[in-house]
Amino acid sequence: MWLPQLAGLPPLTCLPLLACLPLLGACQPPHPPGELVVASRSSLESVDPVDVTTFAGTQLLSALGDPLYASDAAGRIRPRLATALPRFSGGGLIARIPLRQDVRFQDGTRFDAAAMVFSLRRFLALAKVSYLLDERVAAVAASGPFELELRLKRPCASLAAVLSSINLTPVSPLAYRAHARSSLRDRFIGTGPYRLAAFTPQQQRLLPYAGYWGPPTANRGLSLVTLSNSTALFGALLSGEVDVLLSSGLDSDQQKDLHRRARRGDLVEGLGPAVEIGYLTLRSDQPPLANPDLRRALAYGLDRRLISERVSYGMRDPLRNLVPGPLPGSQPASWPAYDPAQARALFRRAGYCQVKGPAPGRRLSLPLSFRSNVPADRLFALTWQAQLRRDLGDCISLEINGIESTTAYRQLGAGAFPLILLDWSGDYPDANAYLQPLLGCRRAQANRCLAGDSAASGSFWSAPGLAAELAGLEVEQGPARQQLVTRIQRRVAAASPYLPLWRVPPRAWAQSWLATPQFDGSGRLVLQALQRRPQRGAAPVATSSASLRKTPSQPGGTR
Amino acid sequence: MSRRRQLLAYLASRLLLLPVMLWLIASLVFLLLRVAPGDPIDALLGTRAPEAARAALRHQLGLDQSLASPYGHYLWDLLHGQLGTSLTNQESVLSVIGRSLPASLELGVLALLIAAVLGLAVGFSGIARPEGRLDLAGRLYGIGTYALPPFWAAMVVQLVFAVWLGWLPVGGRFPATLVPPSGSGFYLLDSLRAGSWSQFSASLRHLVLPAATLGVLLSGIFDNALRLNLRRALRSDYVEAARSRGLSETRVVLRHALPNALLPVLTITGITVASLIGGALLIEVTFSWPGIAFRLQEAIGQRDYPVVQGIVVVVAALVVAVSVAVDLLVALLDPRINF
Repeated sequence: MWLPQLAGLPPLTCLPLLACLPLLGACQPPHPPGELVVASRSSLESVDPVDVTTFAGTQLLSALGDPLYASDAAGRIRPRLATALPRFSGGGLIARIPLRQDVRFQDGTRFDAAAMVFSLRRFLALAKVSYLLDERVAAVAASGPFELELRLKRPCASLAAVLSSINLTPVSPLAYRAHARSSLRDRFIGTGPYRLAAFTPQQQRLLPYAGYWGPPTANRGLSLVTLSNSTALFGALLSGEVDVLLSSGLDSDQQKDLHRRARRGDLVEGLGPAVEIGYLTLRSDQPPLANPDLRRALAYGLDRRLISERVSYGMRDPLRNLVPGPLPGSQPASWPAYDPAQARALFRRAGYCQVKGPAPGRRLSLPLSFRSNVPADRLFALTWQAQLRRDLGDCISLEINGIESTTAYRQLGAGAFPLILLDWSGDYPDANAYLQPLLGCRRAQANRCLAGDSAASGSFWSAPGLAAELAGLEVEQGPARQQLVTRIQRRVAAASPYLPLWRVPPRAWAQSWLATPQFDGSGRLVLQALQRRPQRGAAPVATSSASLRKTPSQPGGTR
Repeated sequence: MSRRRQLLAYLASRLLLLPVMLWLIASLVFLLLRVAPGDPIDALLGTRAPEAARAALRHQLGLDQSLASPYGHYLWDLLHGQLGTSLTNQESVLSVIGRSLPASLELGVLALLIAAVLGLAVGFSGIARPEGRLDLAGRLYGIGTYALPPFWAAMVVQLVFAVWLGWLPVGGRFPATLVPPSGSGFYLLDSLRAGSWSQFSASLRHLVLPAATLGVLLSGIFDNALRLNLRRALRSDYVEAARSRGLSETRVVLRHALPNALLPVLTITGITVASLIGGALLIEVTFSWPGIAFRLQEAIGQRDYPVVQGIVVVVAALVVAVSVAVDLLVALLDPRINF
């Protein structure tokens, strides 16, 4: 049984194969000069505004289309395709919006009021998030060639903010004529700075639209790519395979590492305004948390700073309001700061604590639910459990319980969770987009909400007069509105059916030869502003191809 | 009954059972999806939408009907070769499968090739000296590839070859800055047909890491199967008889022992092919490979019922077809097998 001539030879055949790998590496396709690759985690099934419900979708749409209004980095609403804020008449039930006259769609047709009417009616008929408009708008019409008229169901002070939703971006009536009653999944013809050159769920290619009415793009095109896990995203940025990386879906420790590299100068980091908040929902109509003292005790017992440090290495900002900054109403903080002594006093008043004392009270055993498919939620649950054991171990014990997110959402309105961690991003940049969905109530009995948003959100909390105050948000303007926002939040904080935990600012990391990524007021990366870092002593970077061409000393530009 | 008749009877029985099996699978998937917690509206809108809007969307997507009506429609459509449309973007499920299946098959075929070549080579290499160093190394290799968690192995491979060495891309199927080849969806074939070297090399660069990782992980199966069966064959009477006739050891192994030892390997290959049709989920997810398993995982997360149902039914049909083909092939090659 001897086969010296055969044995040992096959493994050697693997060596030439291994030797081929670097050769394949040398076959990398050239990176088109001036074009950038931006990576994120979420894939995209459709680019039609009527289908888009995810952040990745709105990020792409923001480069392909324009909304009527847009929120700037300071949270102020500015006209974009509109030329002024809405003018209200008829007791606040008619809004007229003047439109720009110098805008053309990417198919060359003119943008006007008729196109806007077509787009809004299509949105109302088809969109998954049609409620954005449907709840407020009764009819859409053109009151002039470049004036839009909206008939409202009720006064709506936040109308401009609602219309800043990128889902309401206009589409070309000519291109969408055959899709007035169906979605167009893989093409988009809008008014934005880029046109969509290619679309697959994992990759989209954008090229500058030469006829764009606004400032030209600072780069010569973009490829948006999806990588399905955090390690791949992290690795792709470090290897230079991608130029810009968005933080959504990236694990905390990898975010921390990228942050550290950016501080060292190996990368550049851009930070956007937080539109996403994390908060705890407390079921306020059932024992034990029907007792307001216990809810307040939990509010005092939440060490947000420590938790943020342990869970996200401080990259999520502790939050003590439901409205995140920089939106008006985000200051001053309404919920109490961490105070274990105060928490203990409240627990005692409710009959808990003193396990080892002469008159031992009980120890509250409370289930804390979290979404098991969200890594930060699990870390939060473990950290808070340990923090409470350390600070108030004789008063409360948390039993943590992971549930897949869609299951959690399904059971939320059924009141399945005494205490659960969730997150929220307002559909539009306004305080009302954070208050109404958590506090709105159609039918209430004393402090118990029987039907409405508060019940659907799992807290079942309401208060006499709260509905009127929320309705006031749609009427009041300016400082009076801001005072109302503050007053509502203080009221909610006093009852604590929700505990704001943190806000999650979006981040983007780019190769060191790029300028710092910028974000708009809705927390989206401004893709058209991505550009090379200006050379010292050189002219400011413009859109010319020469200025964007890579120099040999700078890595990452050719691949 | 003659052998040919036996084979035909076997084939006929399997073909007759196929619709029953598909109906059972389709019904089970249909029911299980709806019994499982969570629904598409929650997956699409999260907690953000008001109740009325959720109800409206539920109605728009036809999710507010009782089970009987959608089940009847589903079976009727299935009978007519229709798999419905995706709830997330109204794309036809056939088109979703048509886009993802070639990616999985391309990855699976190359991985299987690597697994077979590597596994058989390693399994064969130790046969000259049983219990020798090569044999021991081969056994360790087989156990190692069984024991390695695929996602961990994939991440290590990604880290070494894509991030540290920078030889190959981290993930995806084609460079974002190039236009992918059009045609059948098999990028290697399409680019060859188009005569585009740049597209071919770009496709190959993206394919190498996932295929090599999957291939290496699967090769242990071939390694162990060949080693065990070859050893058994080399101890058998017919091999001893061949030796006693004075045939050289090389001839004994290659002409007499190896063909018999490869028959069980063929069955294993069939099972592996069948499992690869459904995609290698962990490899596809780790390398962001847009194959059928990756799409199925996304669809389950989104509770996109039609897409999940369609993929499961199509994959089940293909698996049955492959297993019948392998059974027949083995029967043709091995006259000892009866049905």
